[in-house]
Amino acid sequence: MIFSYNWLQSFFKEKLPKPEKIAELLTMHSFENEYIQKKGNDFLLSIDVLPDRAGDCLSHIGVARELSVLLNQKTIFPKTKIKKISSVFPVKIEDNNDCLRYTTAVLKNVKIEPSPKWLKEKLDACGINSINNIVDITNYVMLETGQPLHAFDYDKVSKGINVRRAKKNEKISLLGGKDYILNEDILVIADENDALALAGIKGGRKAEITKETKNIILESANFNHKLISQTARKLNIRTDASIRYEQNIDPNLTEYALNRAIDLIGVPVDSFNDIYSKKLKPWNIKIDLNNINNVIGLDIPKKDVVNILSKLGFIVKKDMSVDVPTYRQDVLIPENITEEVGRIYGYDKVPFTLPSFSVPAELNNDIYWQNKAKDIMKELGYSEVFNYSFIGDKEKEEFNLNPKEIKNPVSNYLKYLRPTIVPQLIDNVKENLKYFDKVKIFEIGKVFEKKEHICLSGAVSEGNNLKSDILALLSSLGIDKAVFGKEEIKIGKDVIGKIGIKAGVIFFEFNFEKMQKNANDIREYKVVSYHPVAVRDISGLIDEAIEIEDIVQKINQFDLIKSVEVFDIYKGKGVPEGKKSISLHLSLQSKEKTLDPETIDKIIIKIKETINWEERK
Amino acid sequence: MDIESIKKEALEKIEEITEKVDLDLFKKEYLGKKGKIRELFSLVVDLPIEEKKTLGQKINQLSLEIEEIFLKKENDFKKEVKEEIDFSLPTKATELGSLHPITQVKREMERIFQLMGFSVVEGPEIETEWYNFDALNIPEGHPARDALSLGKTFYLKEGGVLRSQTSSSQVRYMQKMKPPIKIIIPGKVYRYETTDASHETNFFHLEGLYIDENVSVSHLKAVLKKFLEEFFKRDVEIRFRPSYFPFTEPSFEVDMLCTVCNGKGCAACKRTGWVEILGSGMVHPDVIKNGGIDPKKYKGFAFGLSIDRPTMMKYKINDVRLFHSANLNFLKQF
Repeated sequence: MIFSYNWLQSFFKEKLPKPEKIAELLTMHSFENEYIQKKGNDFLLSIDVLPDRAGDCLSHIGVARELSVLLNQKTIFPKTKIKKISSVFPVKIEDNNDCLRYTTAVLKNVKIEPSPKWLKEKLDACGINSINNIVDITNYVMLETGQPLHAFDYDKVSKGINVRRAKKNEKISLLGGKDYILNEDILVIADENDALALAGIKGGRKAEITKETKNIILESANFNHKLISQTARKLNIRTDASIRYEQNIDPNLTEYALNRAIDLIGVPVDSFNDIYSKKLKPWNIKIDLNNINNVIGLDIPKKDVVNILSKLGFIVKKDMSVDVPTYRQDVLIPENITEEVGRIYGYDKVPFTLPSFSVPAELNNDIYWQNKAKDIMKELGYSEVFNYSFIGDKEKEEFNLNPKEIKNPVSNYLKYLRPTIVPQLIDNVKENLKYFDKVKIFEIGKVFEKKEHICLSGAVSEGNNLKSDILALLSSLGIDKAVFGKEEIKIGKDVIGKIGIKAGVIFFEFNFEKMQKNANDIREYKVVSYHPVAVRDISGLIDEAIEIEDIVQKINQFDLIKSVEVFDIYKGKGVPEGKKSISLHLSLQSKEKTLDPETIDKIIIKIKETINWEERK
Repeated sequence: MDIESIKKEALEKIEEITEKVDLDLFKKEYLGKKGKIRELFSLVVDLPIEEKKTLGQKINQLSLEIEEIFLKKENDFKKEVKEEIDFSLPTKATELGSLHPITQVKREMERIFQLMGFSVVEGPEIETEWYNFDALNIPEGHPARDALSLGKTFYLKEGGVLRSQTSSSQVRYMQKMKPPIKIIIPGKVYRYETTDASHETNFFHLEGLYIDENVSVSHLKAVLKKFLEEFFKRDVEIRFRPSYFPFTEPSFEVDMLCTVCNGKGCAACKRTGWVEILGSGMVHPDVIKNGGIDPKKYKGFAFGLSIDRPTMMKYKINDVRLFHSANLNFLKQF
């Protein structure tokens, strides 16, 4: 809210410090000052009143009260005359829980005209448009006291005021011209027939104040804040009134505010009413000085605590229990009092004390392995990317996905939660190929299938050897039992990852939790051999059904085999039905000696026996 | 064949050698396992001891001489074949992989908090409304639960929400652990936002929680200052301002003296001299109670820190949307 420096000054006898000083004090002890702006001979202060204080501090009196505590200066607030009127204006409240208090006065023979200059300027300073003298005074009183007021045209209201829930499908046309269809969740101010206003939010056109208005009804009421907040949000209308009503305003304030407006209008009251069935009285909170000091980490003397609370308007009793003034409905528990003491005393006075070291931090295994995998991917030349957790229909259809749906997506392209990272990575590769010859990327992140879990996914442009990279990844993670199928990677029967190609992009995706379960970083030294490596190439036939990967694994189990590479697989012409021809490149090495040809030949024969090798004819 | 003629022959031969291959053959012929020197030695084996001695010495002498001329010749060859690369020629740097700047900053933050005894834990991104709101003292009907306005929360059709802050895991861990609880919870969070250079729908938070007997604002101030000093690797001045969060009481906004202008006021700090860095407070007793812990006995502090924003400060990144752009021209810079 925008505050006028001169207006604040009007509540103090003594001269206030400079606007910058006030802004700084408020920032450090109450609410942040966003900016100060000079306007004529006034200064405007934009102050972010905290939401829990909207009930008392969205007003010049409220902020002046804060300042009086911070500056230790007395305030003088405008006095109002008490009006004793015998004539009662009829008001009916359907439910006291919806409307806690309804104070109203009828003023007759009011002249509707433009506001005087001083009033226009005050409103303009605070960012409110001038409309006419009556509406402007209601706004002025709201900016001064925090109590929203509303004025109705008396002659357009049929038989008194009725505060009730709207009927289903009841219509209202609001000031400004918009029409709304209401329901039973919404509180309205009505006359005998129609809804005249959305309670606490906005007035309607039926009883609008116009140039022709002669007599007015002034309303100063207090409504259930939850009800007003829900209605304002449901209808998406936020007004100066509703943002105040959404927090608790003091119901004891209505009368003062109403009288203040009547004084400013300067017309005698014709009739009056004040329905206030459950008067709000100060409540009591027991405080513990030690506890306050322990939580803040200071040693504030008792007299200072009492002084701070008293200046704030609290009444501190001998037994250190505190009566809370009714305009401070945000103060309900002892911790609220701790906050009051702390902020006024000043958090800058709190020393820096590191907690004594107790227990060392525990290693988080999940994060350890994610970090390890990320480092390996980086070593393999991959760049880490992040994508949104959201995808759209395009991905859903192209990849035949069954994703969870967001009720309120920011856009139609982002309305599902991704059950896989692959579609996004494929897009990322294609996009980056505009600037790079080769692309290698990966992401570790949450995906959302039945449950959410972590995936490690990667994608490369063609020409990169993805499988070699995956082999290196698995081996670095200590996963030695993984077996490659055509489109999947398994450990035993469990599929831990998928591999594939789409639109020229080669990708993989691992369920990282399964990966992690099989990972280990225990390493044991193997003897390093200095003897020469012998190499043999062999070609032959095996059953078509046999997986190459199985054969490689079996061969690898031979002691002297150092490595096996498959360099050709062939089916078709020249190869018998049900068979395939494979060519292998075998490297053999012993730890003890240079292998002689006889030993090597014996091993080769054994290998061929083990894998049912058939020589090509 | 006598020693002298072998020597003469060798000297003549080596004189004629012009190819490296021939030099290797020469070495084999004279100095090799089956070479002429060895052959001479084998001849002396059967001679009487005196003769063996004198002849042996002579052969040794010959061997040394031939080795010498061989090494000399070998050296000549080495001189002739001079290896050369022109490093002044331009070329591209080797392509390396890279880690996302957020990953790097998150690791650094985790490292600093771990040194102060905070364990790193993680929580689910799909949360129940209870953990995201109710447990944090944000009851049904509170504006912070709104889908579109204040709460900016994403709701799922099948129920549940995408966590709007990592605080949602606070109560989960209070229920799981016994005090003292000293944890940080980094992770992805979601807000319904119109995206621009400083607003994103997917971003990263780091939540801190310390629950023990006698935890105070004084501890919170020290931990945060220490963290910021370690993170920015310089002296840091901070200030606590009153704030409001439903799940802490008292609540604070923590500002850091602007590192660009040292508090003088500049564009980076909107001329205020201070940069808002995180929100924090003493854990609300209702929240501690929701975690199954006695708020009379235990107090705690909590803070919520953006990971994106300090990353932007650290690398002077001016658009938060780059983080989820997957643009390698951006990502390969870190």
